[in-house]
Amino acid sequence: MKRAFVMVLALAILATAAVSAPGQSKDTLTVALVSIIDTLDPHMHFERVGILININMFDSLLHKNAKLEYEPSLATSWKALSDTVWEVKLRKGVKFHNGDTMTAEDVKYSFDRVTEPGKEKKRSPQYGNIRAIKEVRIVNPDTIHIVTDKPFPLLLERLVFFPIVPKQHIEKVGDQAFGESATVGTGPWKLLEYKRGHHIRLEAFDQHWRGKPAFKHLTIRGIPEVATQVAELKTGGVDIIRNVSADLVPDLKAHPQTSISSAPILRTHYVHLDMRTEPFNRKLVRQAANYAIDREAIVQKMMAGLGRVVPTVVHPAVFGYDASVTPYAYDPKKAQALLAQAGYPNGVDITLHSSFVEFRPVFEAITQMLTDVGIRTNARMWDPGPAWNKYFQGEGKATHGYYGSWGYYSVFDADAILHPLYHTEPGGWVGKWYIRVEGLDQLVDQARSTVDQAVRKRTYSQIQRLIKEEAPSIFLFHQFDTLGVSKRVEYQARGDEWLWLFDARPKR
Amino acid sequence: MTALLVRRVIRLLVVCLGVSLVTFSILHASGDPVSLVMPEAPEADRVVLRQALGLDDPLAIQFLRFFGNVATGNFGNSFFHRTPALPLVLERMPATLTLTVLAMALALAVAVPVGIYSAVRRNSLVDHVATVVVFLGQSMPVFWTGIMLILLFAVQWRVLPVSGWESWSAVVLPAITLGTFSAPLLLRIVRSSMLEVVHLDYVRTARAKGVSEWVVILRHALKNAALPLVTVAGLQFGLLLGGAVITESVFAVPGVGRLIVSSIRQLDFPVVQAAVFFLAMIIVAVNFVVDMLYIYLNPQIRVR
Repeated sequence: MKRAFVMVLALAILATAAVSAPGQSKDTLTVALVSIIDTLDPHMHFERVGILININMFDSLLHKNAKLEYEPSLATSWKALSDTVWEVKLRKGVKFHNGDTMTAEDVKYSFDRVTEPGKEKKRSPQYGNIRAIKEVRIVNPDTIHIVTDKPFPLLLERLVFFPIVPKQHIEKVGDQAFGESATVGTGPWKLLEYKRGHHIRLEAFDQHWRGKPAFKHLTIRGIPEVATQVAELKTGGVDIIRNVSADLVPDLKAHPQTSISSAPILRTHYVHLDMRTEPFNRKLVRQAANYAIDREAIVQKMMAGLGRVVPTVVHPAVFGYDASVTPYAYDPKKAQALLAQAGYPNGVDITLHSSFVEFRPVFEAITQMLTDVGIRTNARMWDPGPAWNKYFQGEGKATHGYYGSWGYYSVFDADAILHPLYHTEPGGWVGKWYIRVEGLDQLVDQARSTVDQAVRKRTYSQIQRLIKEEAPSIFLFHQFDTLGVSKRVEYQARGDEWLWLFDARPKR
Repeated sequence: MTALLVRRVIRLLVVCLGVSLVTFSILHASGDPVSLVMPEAPEADRVVLRQALGLDDPLAIQFLRFFGNVATGNFGNSFFHRTPALPLVLERMPATLTLTVLAMALALAVAVPVGIYSAVRRNSLVDHVATVVVFLGQSMPVFWTGIMLILLFAVQWRVLPVSGWESWSAVVLPAITLGTFSAPLLLRIVRSSMLEVVHLDYVRTARAKGVSEWVVILRHALKNAALPLVTVAGLQFGLLLGGAVITESVFAVPGVGRLIVSSIRQLDFPVVQAAVFFLAMIIVAVNFVVDMLYIYLNPQIRVR
């Protein structure tokens, strides 16, 4: 018996010793994402991780460089012919991964594929992004006209992520195969192997018009656990991880193999206040709540400095931001005074909700700060699923408000947050339940229905002054995207949260 | 024997019906998947998608449709991936089953010999050490064990990969993690049931007849002590499938567990239903095997 036991033990030890961790090949760049998308068809999903993968395999008409300036990509130039017609010149001689040359037909096909009516069941989830595009007209093989149904000031922003796909190829292999195995684009990397839910292997595309990326191979792995991602990064199993939280920053900075790269992103935090019910139907209470929060302390102490205070929900990096609007100061005394003036000298009891799991400590800090000035807050955390029912749907039933964030869908324009959050029309997002600000709808509509940027800028200034005064939300801060990067790789985090891996290069 | 088989198959169908009813109700009570599929899209677009997915129909109709489809082996399309749910589940089954079976084998490989030894040499050093290890093993949550093993074997000693599923070496840590979860209970069962039988008359008789100690323990005692072990091992298999959900996440194993977790998060009803349905079938099948083993080990049951 003793012998059997010893043998089992010996076997177990042998099994572990016989194998060793696979080494990293030098020309391979490995990136970890929390999950791997279930189709590679770039028009058939709406997820951040999907976008991160697809931008490396597909090109769009326009590109944004690391400084987030527009750059030519498949389009070499673009100009507005009128309020509703844009002329776009296409790059000549661009090859798809299967050797075909990209033509104006492919560009037209790509847009039609998403906007074509009558395909309800198969309709792309990106339809909403570009539905303002009525038609793409081929003028000649190198020129197209993009016609919108009304002035569409966000067109260029939308064109930065709208992947161009090969018409003939898709018609030959079918949508299904295109999304699973026969994925072909014009981007810097082409598909080698795709294992759904697990990993994707890509290889540098020799004939890309930009030239070759610095790494020959790119592997993208799905690793759901942050602790596992960090362990992989430290041992060289992966080179880049995303969404590094503040508590991990010192550890990764100190480790000999890893470094941190951070960039301010559009994700803006706020507490939406329910303007329908007491006490937030009173402006003074909403202002008091804004004075009660020490935003700077939260950013510095709880987010390792990886964030910046915003005056309203409008982010400093977007079109329409007005720097002359200043954030609410941290002034608990004033908050108490305003609360008393509003008719609550003994304070008031409220409930706030959140499903923003990653920022739970921040949510708790906010509720504590509110409680300190007399807005005694009961904090409720929800899973994302039930949360949608609770405060985004139906009648927006959550009482008093919720803490959340908005990522602008990476669109650098004030409209991308003002319309979804504050517009009260039925087609809007949550505004219709929570927001009761006189005249705000008209201003938002006015700004989105002209392409005259000077007029839009003026309107957005007006909106920012209005919402700061009316305080439909507690305005907080925007966060940073923090990457953990292996010391053998040079790569800088981007303000749009993209992983544009063409820019990555080996160090040493 | 045939009657028993038929009864078992009927039970299997009833369990499957119950499982799907429960999954269906819980999921549909938990929120609207469309908002999670396209979170930053305007309401108008979401209305279109909701209609397309049939989420506007009354719940009863949705359930009938679901059940009608399941009867024909069709679990519907995933809301999120827009592809049939069943293949999504089936392609992840091998990883989960490999992991679970290996973990079970590992747990048994440790639990049975150590359990027998502890019982036979009661209060020996091995027995005491085993008791302590059992205590530790049972108090560690699966994800913690996993992360500790990663830190030790992959980060510190670098003898095994951190995560993945490419090579056999990548299977070792998740299997140990999951096995550690199961081994303690099995060990205790083996030990206590062996202790019960080693003092029974027939064992003493066998010894008195001069049968060697090995044969007494393995052939006479173990065969009877194995009954509770088989029962518990069967139950454990179901628990291991559950434990695989967490283990798969920690080790980035492309299995059903991970699929279920992400699908629940996205309220992707068809995928969750298909996956839970399949796991339930496996558990029922394992129970069936356990019943059959019982009959082999204890012929009295057949008579009853």
